[in-house]
Amino acid sequence: MKKLVLLLLLCLLTGFAYAEEKFQFNGYLKNELALRTRDKNYLQKNKDIVQLAGQYNIKGDELVFFAKVKYYYDFAYEKDKLDKAGHYMEHIQRTEWLRDLYLDYNNNPWFLRLGKQQVAWGQADGINVLDRVNPPDLREYWLPDIVDIRIPLWMLNINYAPKLDSNLQLLVIPDFEESQGAPIGGPFTIRAYTIFDNTMKQFATSYWDINQHFPGRRLNHSTYGLQWSDRIADTDYTLNFLYGPYPTARNTTTYIPLVPTPAGSFIVARDYKLWRVYGGSFNKTFTNPGPLQGTTLRGDFAWYNDEPTYYGDPAIGKTYGYSRWDNKFWLIGMDKYIVTKWLLSFQYAQYIMEHKLADDPAQPASRRFAMNGYTYGAQDPVENIFAIKISTDFFNQRLKPELSWSFTDDPQGKVSPKVSYEINNNLLFTLGWNYFYGKATESNGQYSHQSQVYTQLKYSF
Amino acid sequence: MKKLLVLFAAVVLIWGAGLAAGPEYFQVYKPKDGMSADEIMQIEYFVKYTRFAHDVNMGGKAYFIDKSGSTREKETARLRITLGRKLDDIAYKDLVIFTTPQVRGLGTLTWTYMDPKKQQNSWLWVPSLKKIRKISTANADDSFLGSDFTIDDILTRRFEDETYTLIGTENFKGYSSEYDKKTYFKDAPCFVIECKPKKSPWYYSKRILWVDKNTGGGIYEEMYDPLGRMFKALFKDYEIIKVNGKDYPAQILLEGKDLRTGHRTVIINTDIKFDTGLSEDLFTERALTQTRW
Repeated sequence: MKKLVLLLLLCLLTGFAYAEEKFQFNGYLKNELALRTRDKNYLQKNKDIVQLAGQYNIKGDELVFFAKVKYYYDFAYEKDKLDKAGHYMEHIQRTEWLRDLYLDYNNNPWFLRLGKQQVAWGQADGINVLDRVNPPDLREYWLPDIVDIRIPLWMLNINYAPKLDSNLQLLVIPDFEESQGAPIGGPFTIRAYTIFDNTMKQFATSYWDINQHFPGRRLNHSTYGLQWSDRIADTDYTLNFLYGPYPTARNTTTYIPLVPTPAGSFIVARDYKLWRVYGGSFNKTFTNPGPLQGTTLRGDFAWYNDEPTYYGDPAIGKTYGYSRWDNKFWLIGMDKYIVTKWLLSFQYAQYIMEHKLADDPAQPASRRFAMNGYTYGAQDPVENIFAIKISTDFFNQRLKPELSWSFTDDPQGKVSPKVSYEINNNLLFTLGWNYFYGKATESNGQYSHQSQVYTQLKYSF
Repeated sequence: MKKLLVLFAAVVLIWGAGLAAGPEYFQVYKPKDGMSADEIMQIEYFVKYTRFAHDVNMGGKAYFIDKSGSTREKETARLRITLGRKLDDIAYKDLVIFTTPQVRGLGTLTWTYMDPKKQQNSWLWVPSLKKIRKISTANADDSFLGSDFTIDDILTRRFEDETYTLIGTENFKGYSSEYDKKTYFKDAPCFVIECKPKKSPWYYSKRILWVDKNTGGGIYEEMYDPLGRMFKALFKDYEIIKVNGKDYPAQILLEGKDLRTGHRTVIINTDIKFDTGLSEDLFTERALTQTRW
């Protein structure tokens, strides 16, 4: 009865606010289908999503409350093929349903956003160099919109503008969320997890004690971010700093043998190590006449201090520990319209590891190679990453084709053509294909059997 | 009498010199008989880009109607601050936020420079990224937001981009709107000007433009392709809004029709408010990131 009264009261208040034009809302209903196109075809996804967002202006634009909630159910996981992963993929988990819940206070030069939210840093498109404030949800790899990949966090987002076009941002994040990956049996389970699971099965008679060591609820285990943004001579730039727990656990496994073998205890400690990101970004559009006029250049640079990185033997896909290395990641991108309305975007990035071999005297050199955390394959000391995107539109922007291709200097990558069509004001249809290629030990190559054709039908209101 | 004549001559000289260098910002000008085509067009551009006002704030609805009658709709909230600032060469800054469900929250911030050779600077807030993307300015002959107006028609064409010939003056025959079936500007006294682009080849070879003597606005134009065939007709309804005792010409209704495809666009500007004291802080990247949707 109490709940009903509360609900009625909420509806009544919303109604009044709406009548006073203080309240705005929107949302969408969406169906996403994906069909595996390699080997045996099966439905990888049949997901129905509902999202609602509402904004309430408490005091004009000075004080605004905003909330966004989302729910989904994926019917594909009811089928035998995927039902093993269903517990974690079928419907929304824990607090994932709450995408945004914050209060904005805007009184120039101050702007405060307090609550659960996402913060995006950097200029890169689809490659996370500086965009490291919110951990990623990679249960569907990097295929969804980035806004659905970032896991929102509770934080204080404090901004101060000492002068026009500049901003100092301080983030205080007492919240922690672990990055997410697909469970065993999902289409996009990472190879590293499959290897770990196979090892567990191999030692099925052993006892596995998996201990999560989440960061303590202490000030020095919170995440802190600082960004300075400014503009010099038509160039926007930022300087960034982030400190906090690395959002992906690093495992240390200890085996205590028992007789008769293979019975024994495996003690797995899952730790979230503290790391720092120092970096910056820039963008510039050439506006003056000349050969570069109309070209946008953008770039990110990050120095990952103490990034926990696995080392081991990539030949057998086995890790022997992790090191906290200082790695670098930089990216440069260029965008330009060619032939009236064809937008060409190009990105080049380099991920540069500090070490080729880990300092672990207990292990032979063959077990001290840097490992790709997703695949337990070899991580190149320098990884060259390329991304090309071409997009345009037809019929007064009703039909929008796009082709993106991302690849590295190894023979692996992803080709994704798609086309979206605006059926009417509210209805958008998208048809696309994600084609993965490469070796199983490479980030994209591990999904070479999961290439998919997909559709999305979105009704917005 | 002699003094009066000297004073009159000085006023005429100052006025002429003023227009030769381009009209001064934050003044209201009207074209007059006896003016050259260049002088009339300087005023037309001045009116088009609301350089008479310090700021403007409006809502907008755009209807995209294809040959079969199928209609799509987009709604926007638009803000502009006029600066005319020589220090950093910025003429004005525009902020457009979409409020239509499908693209709600999508926003663009554009800075336009006083130097006509300099391209605009644009930033885009993309809700699916929750991030600002610096964007290259689309080519001027591309469609403006999917409408039948080009980016050139709405945003980028400057006085310096064309040469002008005054064809004559006439009372406009009137424009019958396909949207609301009203007839606009019937018998309104107009200057008829032929505008030829300096750029060649270009997507049009000339425009014939009717400039309303009352508002200074270019109310109707016919566009011709490089082969001399008329391919587009554009109409703009200007109305006078009184602001602090001044007569500000405001664009209320825009209609464009592509004669090749039969596609039409109707843009209606609503709740137009001039000189409300908008702060330049609203036209920054920081303000764009505050978009919530």
